[in-house]
Amino acid sequence: MSASLTEASNAPRKKERFQIKNKYKLFLMAFPFLVLGFIFSYLPLFGWVYAFYDFRPGIPLSKSEFIGFHWFTAMFSNEVQRDEMIRVLRNTFAISSLGILTSVLPVIFAILLTEVRNSKFKRMVQTLTTLPNFISWVLVYSFAFMLFSVDNGFLNNLLMSLGLIDTPTNILASSNNTWLAMTLWGVWKGLGWGAIMYIAAITGIDPELYEAAKVDGASRFHQIWHVTVPGIIPTFFVLLILSIANFINNGMEQYFVFANAMNMANIEVLDLYVYNVGFTGSNFGFATAVSIMKSIVSLFLLFLANGLSKAVRGETII
Amino acid sequence: MVKQKKWSALIAFVCLMLVFTTACSGNKDNSDGDKQTPESSKEVITDWSQEEEVTLNVFSTLANFTGEQPGWFAKVVKDKFNIKLNIIQGGLEGKLATQMASGDLGDLIVGMGGKDYTDAVKAGLLLDWTKNGMLDNYGKNMQKYAPDALEANKTQYGSGTAIYGIGHNVGTGDGPSEGATMTFGPYLRWDLYEELGRPEIKTMDDYLPVLKQMQEKQPTTESGKKVYAFSLWSDWDGDFATLPKVHAQLHGYSEGDGFNPGSLILVKADEPDIQPMLDDNSYYMKGLKFYFDANQMGLLDPDSLTQTFGDVSTKFKDGQVLFAQFPWLTTTYNTPENTADGKGFALVPFQEQQIYSSGFNPYGGGWIWSIGSKTKHPERVMAFLDWMYSPEGVMEGFNGPKGLAWDLDADGKPMLTELGQNAMYNGDTAVPDEYGGGIWNDGAGNFGKLNNTTLSTSQINPDNGEPYDFRSWTSELTRDPDPVTKSWREAMGVLTDKEWFVKNDQVAVTKAFFNGQPPADEPSDIKLKRSQVGKTIKEYSWKMMFAKDEAEFDKLKQELVKKAQGLGYDDVINWQTEQTKNTVFTLYDK
Repeated sequence: MSASLTEASNAPRKKERFQIKNKYKLFLMAFPFLVLGFIFSYLPLFGWVYAFYDFRPGIPLSKSEFIGFHWFTAMFSNEVQRDEMIRVLRNTFAISSLGILTSVLPVIFAILLTEVRNSKFKRMVQTLTTLPNFISWVLVYSFAFMLFSVDNGFLNNLLMSLGLIDTPTNILASSNNTWLAMTLWGVWKGLGWGAIMYIAAITGIDPELYEAAKVDGASRFHQIWHVTVPGIIPTFFVLLILSIANFINNGMEQYFVFANAMNMANIEVLDLYVYNVGFTGSNFGFATAVSIMKSIVSLFLLFLANGLSKAVRGETII
Repeated sequence: MVKQKKWSALIAFVCLMLVFTTACSGNKDNSDGDKQTPESSKEVITDWSQEEEVTLNVFSTLANFTGEQPGWFAKVVKDKFNIKLNIIQGGLEGKLATQMASGDLGDLIVGMGGKDYTDAVKAGLLLDWTKNGMLDNYGKNMQKYAPDALEANKTQYGSGTAIYGIGHNVGTGDGPSEGATMTFGPYLRWDLYEELGRPEIKTMDDYLPVLKQMQEKQPTTESGKKVYAFSLWSDWDGDFATLPKVHAQLHGYSEGDGFNPGSLILVKADEPDIQPMLDDNSYYMKGLKFYFDANQMGLLDPDSLTQTFGDVSTKFKDGQVLFAQFPWLTTTYNTPENTADGKGFALVPFQEQQIYSSGFNPYGGGWIWSIGSKTKHPERVMAFLDWMYSPEGVMEGFNGPKGLAWDLDADGKPMLTELGQNAMYNGDTAVPDEYGGGIWNDGAGNFGKLNNTTLSTSQINPDNGEPYDFRSWTSELTRDPDPVTKSWREAMGVLTDKEWFVKNDQVAVTKAFFNGQPPADEPSDIKLKRSQVGKTIKEYSWKMMFAKDEAEFDKLKQELVKKAQGLGYDDVINWQTEQTKNTVFTLYDK
């Protein structure tokens, strides 16, 4: 530090002539990130052209047949096809809505966790709840299969030996409560991880506020309600808006591994549908067309959420 | 102030450098890959074991294995060609598409046929064997033993000039091309069936009460697990549920005509007859009803929908299943230990059965062998493939190197060695280190893990006058059989499954079709409709099999038909039917 200081003070004046103006300098600093953004977010949009071709892997686009909006109209070409799209969208919206409803759970969990006094216990709980986030969905499924399979599944064996049921039930191949079940798996996996952000936010709250509250005679619950909660609400809202923008993107691995014929009608979200049609059915054009529609809906939702936030809280993120 | 400016300028510079270095590094590989370095324009190499070792990427759409080929087959290939085989499992969803899009399918491509194959030819991903005298120098065996197959590939895919591959299962002759066993069953646990006094079975439905009795006789395995008559799996499903569809094959029908893409029509093997899959009386619908009834009777494994093939295989091994649709399902249970105890699966056909059989096809089947256009070792790949098309290659690829599991007797006829008599029936048998070590199953398969055939294994090997398939060797048929086989042979009055079907005239054999044209191109709208209809059929099939009662079964069936029709089922059927009528059915016109 001191070395560079002396060096700097020794620096002759003429150097200033070679210095780049500040605005360019800032631009150059931001430049790599702009480039990365361009490469990873805008360049792939070129892939949208596949929606207008009858593309088959291996054959260059220039030799593929141009079919215009065929795939787009095919999506809504008749009643059954429309019903399919509606079913898929309904699943997507239902599971995403449940996901957003449960997004308060990590907040509550984080608050409860910070209130725990025994730090050993606290750390153990945090580790155990964060761990599932690092388990891949494939492993989660094999775990679920072990627990719930009919032949030799843990749960069925337990219930049978306790005499609670006579015939094993097949939980994984059931069309009941698929949305709820999927949300619960998601919560189990993401609870601890989701809480980390809030724990950080809580740690960032000025301790003086708590002291002041204490002096004013606030109970522990009052402190939580009047100091902690307002302290993390901004974080919560930012994450909420982002999750609304991601409303339609509820991922696919989870649904892919849990899907089977029995629950397909309720589990097939947009991303899984795109995969099933695009990869399994080897129809990349159609899958791309569906994805484009998806992006447009996503964009719409983002602006909607942002507008709502502006109306309600007077703050926006865009 | 000055210091700060200097630092920020430096950061800006570093950032800038980062951009350019990342931008520039991408392209290097490509330019290398494009350049082909042919091993020789020199002389024709005959002894490849002296050449330097290479690893070939084998893209097999049929493999159930990923990684380097292990066991005795690896040793054979290494000793002969100094090749290591890196197997890429191409049958996984989306794998082929990704590989195609990348423009490189590897060195040797196994089993890719149909639409994908024509696309690969169009995209220039396959090597033309007629260039640089490749075929003439390194394809002598193919020219000798499968000349029609080469010619067929040339006219079908190479516009009459280029050869981009060779079909599988090449053979000539009449009757079924299968070996001792057919491709389908049905197989029952022979010991239990015999205990019941071998009740007569006329139709498929007659199996159900018999299996019920068998299940009552043996409700659990020795390890205490519940025994089911049927255990199915869903991970092989394409446009329909695979196992109920086997009903069609047991009645002489198969999905598609074997030439055109036609997955939603069931076509008779030896007559111009077509059943659309969702017809009320189609064998597919009957298959669904069969498993529905089975489930009502408590015969169907409730995990059928959620488990994978691997789970089912384990269940067979443990004796948890009583009925097998395919002969190869039974091998895990029919170990020498079990059969010595009198326990094992054996063929129990039904009176109305007409089993689907592929006839000999000199033009080769649709699981084509081809070579990637970007390979750096075209000659060696070609020589290796050519060896697999030679009598020696087929013999060693299926039965192992001479002296290990088989040998020639005094009369020059093949027979299993002591190790072979064990290994062929129990894959866990250890293999001596000099032959590659490990267990038999490591190297076993159809050319190891490549999992495709070349010359039909029921063809006669010109070197010794016996078929390649060891189950059909005279020595093996006359060898003292295990108790299960012995009892089965006495009851049926024949030596092998094939013999029984042929003797009783209960086999429908396909004829080889060839018109010099490639199979039809599926138009894009048919493709979309087919994939969506297929998805629906698959989903509803499983729901129907596990329906609560008859009423729900019928309701789901109606829903399925209605939904499928809404998605364009009729258009798909019409298109597929038309293709079959225009091509394969012309065989019956004369």
